[in-house]
Amino acid sequence: MLKKDLIEKNPIRHLKGESDAKESSRMGLVMAQAGAGKTALLVQIALDTLLNDKQVVHVSVGQSLDKTKLWYDDMFKDIAEGCKLENAGEIHDAIMRNRMIITFNESKFSLAKLEERLHDLVQQNVIKPSCMVVDGFDFVKTERTVLEGLREMAKAMDLQIWFSAVCSDEATTAGVPAPCKGMEDLFNTVVLLQPVPKSDCLELKIIKGSAAVSKCGKLLKLDPQTLMIREDCK
Amino acid sequence: MRDITKVRNIGISAHIDSGKTTLTERILFYTQRIHAIHEVRGKDGVGAKMDSMELERERGITICSAATYCDWKDHAINIIDTPGHVDFTIEVERALRVLDGAVLILCSVGGVQSQSITVNRQMTRYRVPRVAFINKCDRTGANPDRVIKQLREKLALNAVPIQVPMGLEGDMQGLIDLVKMQAVYFDGENGDVIRIEEIPAQYKEDCDIKREEMLDAVSMFSDELMEAVLEGTPTEEMIMAAIRTGTLSMEFTPVMMGTAYKNKGVQLLLDAVVSYLPCPTDVDNFALDLDHEEAEVKVSNNSSDPLLALAFKLEDGRYGQLTYVRTYQGTLKKGDSIVNVRTGKKAKVGRLVRMHSDDMEEIDEAGSGDIVALFGIDCASGDTFTSGSDYNFSMTSMHVPAPVISLSITPVDNKAQDNMSKALNRFTKEDPTFKTFVDPETMETIISGMGELHLDVYVERMKREYKAEVTVGAPQVAYRETITQKAEFNYTHKKQTGGSGQFGRVAGFIEPMEDGEYEFVDKIVGGSVPREYIPSCDKGFQKCLDKGALVGAHVTGVRCTITDGASHAVDSSDIAFQLAAIGGFKEAYGKAKPMIMEPIMKVAAEGPSEFQGSIMGSLNQRRGIIIGTNEEDAYTVIEAEVPLSEMFGYSTDLRSLTQGKAEFTMEFAAYRQVPKSVAEELIAKALKNKKQ
Repeated sequence: MLKKDLIEKNPIRHLKGESDAKESSRMGLVMAQAGAGKTALLVQIALDTLLNDKQVVHVSVGQSLDKTKLWYDDMFKDIAEGCKLENAGEIHDAIMRNRMIITFNESKFSLAKLEERLHDLVQQNVIKPSCMVVDGFDFVKTERTVLEGLREMAKAMDLQIWFSAVCSDEATTAGVPAPCKGMEDLFNTVVLLQPVPKSDCLELKIIKGSAAVSKCGKLLKLDPQTLMIREDCK
Repeated sequence: MRDITKVRNIGISAHIDSGKTTLTERILFYTQRIHAIHEVRGKDGVGAKMDSMELERERGITICSAATYCDWKDHAINIIDTPGHVDFTIEVERALRVLDGAVLILCSVGGVQSQSITVNRQMTRYRVPRVAFINKCDRTGANPDRVIKQLREKLALNAVPIQVPMGLEGDMQGLIDLVKMQAVYFDGENGDVIRIEEIPAQYKEDCDIKREEMLDAVSMFSDELMEAVLEGTPTEEMIMAAIRTGTLSMEFTPVMMGTAYKNKGVQLLLDAVVSYLPCPTDVDNFALDLDHEEAEVKVSNNSSDPLLALAFKLEDGRYGQLTYVRTYQGTLKKGDSIVNVRTGKKAKVGRLVRMHSDDMEEIDEAGSGDIVALFGIDCASGDTFTSGSDYNFSMTSMHVPAPVISLSITPVDNKAQDNMSKALNRFTKEDPTFKTFVDPETMETIISGMGELHLDVYVERMKREYKAEVTVGAPQVAYRETITQKAEFNYTHKKQTGGSGQFGRVAGFIEPMEDGEYEFVDKIVGGSVPREYIPSCDKGFQKCLDKGALVGAHVTGVRCTITDGASHAVDSSDIAFQLAAIGGFKEAYGKAKPMIMEPIMKVAAEGPSEFQGSIMGSLNQRRGIIIGTNEEDAYTVIEAEVPLSEMFGYSTDLRSLTQGKAEFTMEFAAYRQVPKSVAEELIAKALKNKKQ
């Protein structure tokens, strides 16, 4: 398989924000129960940007640089093996240069520090990201103003920002589940990741935003290892 | 044999200015002194004669031993000398492995400085519980509260004072113990007479507040204490037990204060070492099962189990060659036969000693968790000893990382040459990652190691400890070569011009190998190459690995397969086939698209946030790839992968960029292909050297 085929199978192809939001600067939210695969999906989204030869900043709250890096290495390896990607080693080295990780210790996220860091990175010509993924953001304890600040930053830097949030078991209610209830207006796209009972797939339910024409309609089925779209799910 | 719960193996860690030397000397003084005082009084009732001036001059108290033993309140304390330089050398790792707990010394004026940050990070990395001692409280500008704040912010430690000083600077009278709620004074010429009194009225309020803060923090570690605090009935035992639990779990750091120089607080610190730092069974230690791919196995700490001991330091002491050993399991007895797991050789335990500050005590046996020294054992630092050859465990990985950098050193005269040889002999025994050899082409002595700093330290030690003046050449990075595609060969080695000749033909192919350095595959059928010469082919190939054709670097990651060949009844020999293999390899090498690889280091640079931009820029300029950053409370750590060849002199650069406020550490990460421009430069240089 070639690089371009991988890009095709990425679920992000099918996630569009609301029609009035500018594609390049939007806020997306991935919700799921603990352990379902939110980080994996964020990494998959980041990989998509990287494969399109664009740059990514991965912000991780509560996880070390080494562990975060390992996510990328492992996922890329799984995908490369599963899809028999040609020149996997070279592609890996090339795209990883376009990714920067910024980590914060548990509960120590600071918007001011993040802005300062990004500013340094851009100024020093180290990286100019078009996508940012934020993993481990504490939606329960952080003030809404921080999210608003991030949205402003996204607009100013022309950046897509994707967040992950843990939701509890009863996520079957309509609308955006807790702890993000009441924050829908800040996000252009909100998706819910759930394991499909009695199968080995994951399904991606779009709560806010629209899907482009896809074979599975609003429920995308994903492979739990690589988080890529699977057509053969039952 | 002593009770293992009463053993404390500790290290004392500090940055240069905090008074480590004086404190250590004082500890040895009090532990030996009190002992001596008891003895003197007990034996003939004569009082202590030595005054403090004499004591200062007494050379007997030494801190040069790798591990010094002392007694305090029925506990055995081994003070392990922690290396001054915290770079990623094996020596540091070994010291941290051998100690169970540590005392972190800080200056009450200087507070937490960059070295303390590095030391602390190492200790966290090796999971070492610690207590803090704020020293020099008699200095002008002493501010323990500020230091405690720094401990929390810069080192992210849950640092809580368990004492309150009575007066500071020139006015320091003593300390208030918040656990026992009593004032402690240190009387006598050397502060060795402890006087307990009621807390003076002027400190009462502050003490009550500080005690409440302490109880708040400490009761998190004990439900019993928490309840008792709510009811107003916490006991000393409960508080101490909770402090111990917190300290051992590394979620709490008790802070003490004092002034070693003015003899205040040292005894209380010793009490804390006994009460709050771990004994060997409080810490999990792991051995590696060599029969199961170095799988980790917890040591039992049981003195009746098979012996497991680690030789962590070799010393040319006053008494001859000593090997310091820490036992993790079993008992070391005089006269026992022990096996060196690395070499497989047996050794007999001759003299077994314990090093005191001023003399040596001969002992008959040492139980689990103890630290002792052996005479007359020939081994290398890091070797593991067990009781028998069927007990195949090692305390350290048998894998010794290959050096990544080398330097040529030239002695200035004959005397320096002798001293240098002695020094090199000693260093290589102590540190398996430090290697030395003579370059056959240039006849220069080359030393190689894990980093620029690693080698600098040894050159410095050579000058200071062995008085060997040497001039140092430019550092050489250890490049590697490898091939990127399969290539075939079919080579005949023939010398049949009359008389005894040589003949051998080998055919096969070489191909790149992902995991591993080298592999030889024999696919000969029908005896086209006689069985007895197949090992010769292997030998020949291996000879080619030393110097690759591109730049003369070591070749790695190659699999050599022989599929066919030919021999001559008379003229074929071991040498003939070796040369045939060498010829075959050289023939195929050029066709196999060889490439040059360079060592890439994982560099972690940390410093105040305001310098992040310039630090990132500086790493970028050195062909570094920034992996990411980690935001700590007061500083940021930047991680990058940078080629070793670009890192020379970086410490000076970093210092000037950041006004000396940033530091970096680096360790080997991987070998990666060099960029085209660098490869061209290296090849051109190699050609030039060849011509000369």
